[in-house]
Amino acid sequence: MPPVERLHLDHVVQTVSVLESVVLRSFGPEGGQVLFTRDTGQAMLSRSGARILTALRLEHPLARMVVECVLKHSTVTGDGSKTFILLLASLLRMIHKMACKEPNVSHTYTSRQTAEASTARHLADNILAFALEELDDLIAMGVIPYGCCLSWEDFTAKKHLPGPSNNDCVQKLLTSFFHSRLGRSHCDFISKLTCELLTHWKFKRDQPSLSLEFVNDNLDALHTPVSGFPISCSRLIEGQVIHRDFATPCPQTEQKTVKAAVFSGYLQPKLLNAGQVLQLGCGEQWMEENSKNNRSIVQFSAWTERSLECVFANLQSLGVSVILSAVKQSAAVLSLAAQAEMCVVECVSENELSLFAQLSGATPVSDCWMVEPEHVATLTFCRPILLGAHRYVHVAFNDSEERVTVKPCSLVICGLGEGQTDQYTCAFRDAIRMLLSTWEPMGMTATTASKRTLQSTKSTYSHVDQIPNVPPFQQCRLQPGYVIPAGGTFEFLLHHALLQNGTSCSASDDTVTSGLAVSQLLANALLIVPRQIYSHSPRHFLQAQARFQTIIQNHSHPFSLVYKQEHRSIFGESAFPLEEDKLTKQADVSAKLFMSDSGLESVSCKYQLLLAVLQCLSSILHVDTVLHTHTALHTQSRRLANTSWEDTDDETED
Amino acid sequence: MALNGDDKDFFDWEPPTEAEMKVIQARKERQDKISKLMGGYLLKGYRMLGDCCDVCGTILLQDKQQKLYCVSCQELDSDVDKDNPVLNAQAALSQVRERQLAAQAAAPPAPPPAPELNEGPSSSQASVLVPQPRPEHCEGAAAGGRALLPLPAVPSPTTPAPAPALVPPRAPVSPQSPVIPPLLQEAEEAVLIKLRWATSQLQSSASLETSIQLCSLIASCANSLRSLKELSQ
Repeated sequence: MPPVERLHLDHVVQTVSVLESVVLRSFGPEGGQVLFTRDTGQAMLSRSGARILTALRLEHPLARMVVECVLKHSTVTGDGSKTFILLLASLLRMIHKMACKEPNVSHTYTSRQTAEASTARHLADNILAFALEELDDLIAMGVIPYGCCLSWEDFTAKKHLPGPSNNDCVQKLLTSFFHSRLGRSHCDFISKLTCELLTHWKFKRDQPSLSLEFVNDNLDALHTPVSGFPISCSRLIEGQVIHRDFATPCPQTEQKTVKAAVFSGYLQPKLLNAGQVLQLGCGEQWMEENSKNNRSIVQFSAWTERSLECVFANLQSLGVSVILSAVKQSAAVLSLAAQAEMCVVECVSENELSLFAQLSGATPVSDCWMVEPEHVATLTFCRPILLGAHRYVHVAFNDSEERVTVKPCSLVICGLGEGQTDQYTCAFRDAIRMLLSTWEPMGMTATTASKRTLQSTKSTYSHVDQIPNVPPFQQCRLQPGYVIPAGGTFEFLLHHALLQNGTSCSASDDTVTSGLAVSQLLANALLIVPRQIYSHSPRHFLQAQARFQTIIQNHSHPFSLVYKQEHRSIFGESAFPLEEDKLTKQADVSAKLFMSDSGLESVSCKYQLLLAVLQCLSSILHVDTVLHTHTALHTQSRRLANTSWEDTDDETED
Repeated sequence: MALNGDDKDFFDWEPPTEAEMKVIQARKERQDKISKLMGGYLLKGYRMLGDCCDVCGTILLQDKQQKLYCVSCQELDSDVDKDNPVLNAQAALSQVRERQLAAQAAAPPAPPPAPELNEGPSSSQASVLVPQPRPEHCEGAAAGGRALLPLPAVPSPTTPAPAPALVPPRAPVSPQSPVIPPLLQEAEEAVLIKLRWATSQLQSSASLETSIQLCSLIASCANSLRSLKELSQ
């Protein structure tokens, strides 16, 4: 095995094709599930792309690179791992075909393979540059008019446009997500539960992305997995569940409110840690009085325990009856707390403590000698709760003014086995991430932001030229929260928009042959997604394609409507008698698209997916050489030590 | 993708012909099959290594018993072996036909130094061979593991029916028709006569033992003919 290995385009295509064949069978609403078994006998069914890809045993460096890209993307958007691989494979195949047909012949290359590799690299870079600049415009023009914006106000709102469909709501988006992830049987139930949770956590005065970010960041503290129960036992619990049990017996109090204090450090300082030397000294007065007693550690410990009593006396005076501690307290603290009839919860995780602090408004105590009233939290109750096989601490907060918009609640997710519970939890987490990326404003890089200021001078879309001012255009592009029907709609619409863009700019400037080729390549590569969705019956794919073609053709461009509206005001009503027909037709078209019960998907997620795929593609094609190294421990393991990002000495580069 | 369009004249690139397109298509299908098989193995728990097979260049897999496994070499029919006449009968037959077609094209302009029987028998043999493609005869040659050339001679010995008609002109039939030294020619004729006698005996024999012995005689005659042909090369 040579230590240096040239990567040819064929290898790259084959590697990604292998990954594609792995995920292909689980892709789409009709896709199957993969059964995972362990040597211990545990078995689990899953359709999640990220899970399947991480379970593969891959030592090939390129394959591992691709899987890492997929996982990184999945942590951001929560979905789309299989689509990622599919799009990547399709783009690679098209680039391979194009590179083999017309290698870049302008430079001298030692072999046809290096010529092909160079062409492929150029193509990938061109496509990426094109996508970074133009893709959001195209999506805004070609896809968003056919979509609709989800309202954050009411999760189960009926659609306000005239028409029989009442399906556009966050719940429908979640249902289609859970359907693809967990199957048909429980998706409605779980999506309803998630909607309830989000309703409770809605910050009424703020944008949806803020409350979604909050839920996303604190997700670990906001849910409790319980195995051994059917999924239908999942429910919402008011307040917060702290995933620890009481360390001291919890006294039954009849009080209406409970006061709690959070300690982030030790109440009794640890005297001796491993590797430390403690030097004991004491004041001269003490020495004189007790000169018989040796200076010993026992005396010192007794002294510290006595000082603890002062701390507890202070806490009792403040009325504290619950102590939440981030670390494990010593036995002396526990016995003193039991004597003082206070309950202690130890080893609470940092996330939960920070959430508790946020919800209760009390700061954690850093110095146990200085416990002030602002460190004391007021709770409605604090009692044990039995969930599954574990006993946890359940707290509920007093409603204070700043928190009146939020009703804290926690989700209990039940599953029949640990694997299933884990699956539901991951699906729930990915759903939150997906919603977060839906409502996040579409990413604007510095280049696109500057480009928007030069909107009137440079435009690639011929219709826009005719419109003097475009405020609705800008509004359309930047507004988040758009969804379109699932089932390949996004790909079809973008395919059409790309082809139109290619033909419209084919006569303008001289870099267009590349622009045209790039648009066409991307457009054709996109179609793999609906093709695979309808792979069980190619007739449905053709039918869907024909249906979209007719819809697109019948649907006049929305900004020509704006144009006509302006002209109508100038020229009077007689100029455009068909105005109203076109408006109702647009409503009909959108209604027709949404009436099919295929579910919803988020436009923003798809856009991010496409960008991520193109970036991964560009990175892969820039890899020239693989250097194999042997680590000291495992002589058989190999690592990708170096990827050369520049061309090698074989090629002359401009 | 004309990134630098004007330099195209320097490079003599033509679009692939029909045959090349078929080859490309076949290769693409083979790669698809390989990918699918590899995906199945990955899902079964095989490990995808970072190495490639030395023979065919496909990515290697390793099973749980640490054995290396190449999907295309060990599972699919080899791409290259298909064209090797030593291993594949069809390839051998197609090579024979190609040589004969080339000889027919070359024969009229260049009169061969070998006897004029060449043209006659080669055309007759071509006309005989073409309607009867029988790979099992070629497999006899392939199993013998011998080289490519004596194939035109091989079909005849094992078929008694057309053999007698073809036996005399078969000897100098090889389309390249080099000059055969007279000693070898005599030896060939002797062997052929014996072969003829054996086949006639075989036709009329009724006993099992004699038939078996006659068949083995015919086989050894064929072998000796083959070696004589090799000698004459």
